[in-house]
Amino acid sequence: MKRITAIILVLLLMLSAAACSKGSKVTGTVVEGTLTVGFDQEFPPMGFVDDNGEFAGFDLDLAAEVAKRLDLKLELQPIAWDSKDFELESKNIDCIWNGFTINEREDSYTWTDPYMANTQVFVVRADSGISSLADLAGKTVMVQSDSSAEKALGKRTDLVESFGELLTAADYNSALMDLESGAVDAVAMDNIVASYHIEKKGAGFAILNEELAAEDYGVGFLLGNEALRDKVQAALEEMAKDGTLAKISNEWFGKDITTIGK
Amino acid sequence: MDLSVLITKLSEGMLVSVEIFSLTLLFSLPLGLLVAFGRMARNVVLRNAIKVYISIMRGTPLVLQLMVVYYGPYFIFNINMPRSYRFVAVIIGFALNYAAYFAEIYRGGIESIPAGQHEAAKLLGYSRSQTFIRIILPQVIKRILPSVTNEIITLIKDTSLAYVISVPEMFKEAKAIASAQSNMVPYVGAGIFYYVFNYLVAFIMEWIEKRFSYFR
Repeated sequence: MKRITAIILVLLLMLSAAACSKGSKVTGTVVEGTLTVGFDQEFPPMGFVDDNGEFAGFDLDLAAEVAKRLDLKLELQPIAWDSKDFELESKNIDCIWNGFTINEREDSYTWTDPYMANTQVFVVRADSGISSLADLAGKTVMVQSDSSAEKALGKRTDLVESFGELLTAADYNSALMDLESGAVDAVAMDNIVASYHIEKKGAGFAILNEELAAEDYGVGFLLGNEALRDKVQAALEEMAKDGTLAKISNEWFGKDITTIGK
Repeated sequence: MDLSVLITKLSEGMLVSVEIFSLTLLFSLPLGLLVAFGRMARNVVLRNAIKVYISIMRGTPLVLQLMVVYYGPYFIFNINMPRSYRFVAVIIGFALNYAAYFAEIYRGGIESIPAGQHEAAKLLGYSRSQTFIRIILPQVIKRILPSVTNEIITLIKDTSLAYVISVPEMFKEAKAIASAQSNMVPYVGAGIFYYVFNYLVAFIMEWIEKRFSYFR
């Protein structure tokens, strides 16, 4: 029996030997010389897997340009959106850069200035006959859990009470599948993402003109990491001045919808 | 997206799933045997410690265990883990969990061998380890194979749980592509990949079972 105890001890030692500390923090990044960007790879057009199977997106292009200007290597780390805080706090990533809504999260992260504006909207089937928020009375509405749309709905209790039912989905894509199949009547989500999806899919969906909420996107850093935030902020302002920001925005959205330095 | 790109991406994810699968088996099958010995030990402290271990591993969701193994070092012990720990954590989590299940399968097999065989072997002058390796184990293996096959097939499908700590296994890849392409094809592809993998494993296990069908 002593032998078995010894073997178990050795195994435990091997496990704990796997633990060792990380590199220094001169640049304020978790890995020296590297900017590790955490993003949800299911969030087109901000960060997603493109037709060639590569990571692509408006936000990732911005991050790549910023990393270049700061002379840092860019590392893209797809994360589970529910675990974003764990990833940031356990220092696996430097920032969350992924159509990340500042509103309602102001005090939870160290933010750059907002770099673009977004709205929360309702998506419905084009042939559903729903054209205003009032038409949603008695209908089934779906929202992604832990999303800013869910937070925005939390402030509109009058509206939510008029719904027949409010359901939450794990990701917006399954919510849209439910919408298409007729299981739900409307989905509350980010306008930018909804527009991308409608464009990709063609007709069938429509966005209600009445908005749920207006909000801003920013880059979120671990609370207190002003050193790195200031560097990224400066790089973004520089890009706004020399037109790079407008250029990248044009490539993705056909117009300049960025808001930094304006 | 071209079908070839889709297949390439799913294959990359599949490779990660296969790695998780193989490494988990490599560690959990022997570890399970050690745990089974601990569970049957005469030492009360060891036996009860192992009982608690098995009870926790079987009584909590694997998803939760993976999160504890991955985020635990930082949030409990304040240790910064290297970047590669993400994948290591998956293997540790899966191996610890599956070892508990395998241990109980082993124990069931070992305890099903009549005590008379131990006594006879002792009379014939076999030592305890000789008895176990030459007489008990060969019979145990063939008895437990169907249960082990069950666990192994569950393991293939469980590899998809690695998504909670953002390991790019196949299901995560399929979800990412499905949301970018806004269609269901990647999910169908993922289903086919899993099925083929399971079919192969079931085929191999059946072959092994046949090889062990002696003494019948």
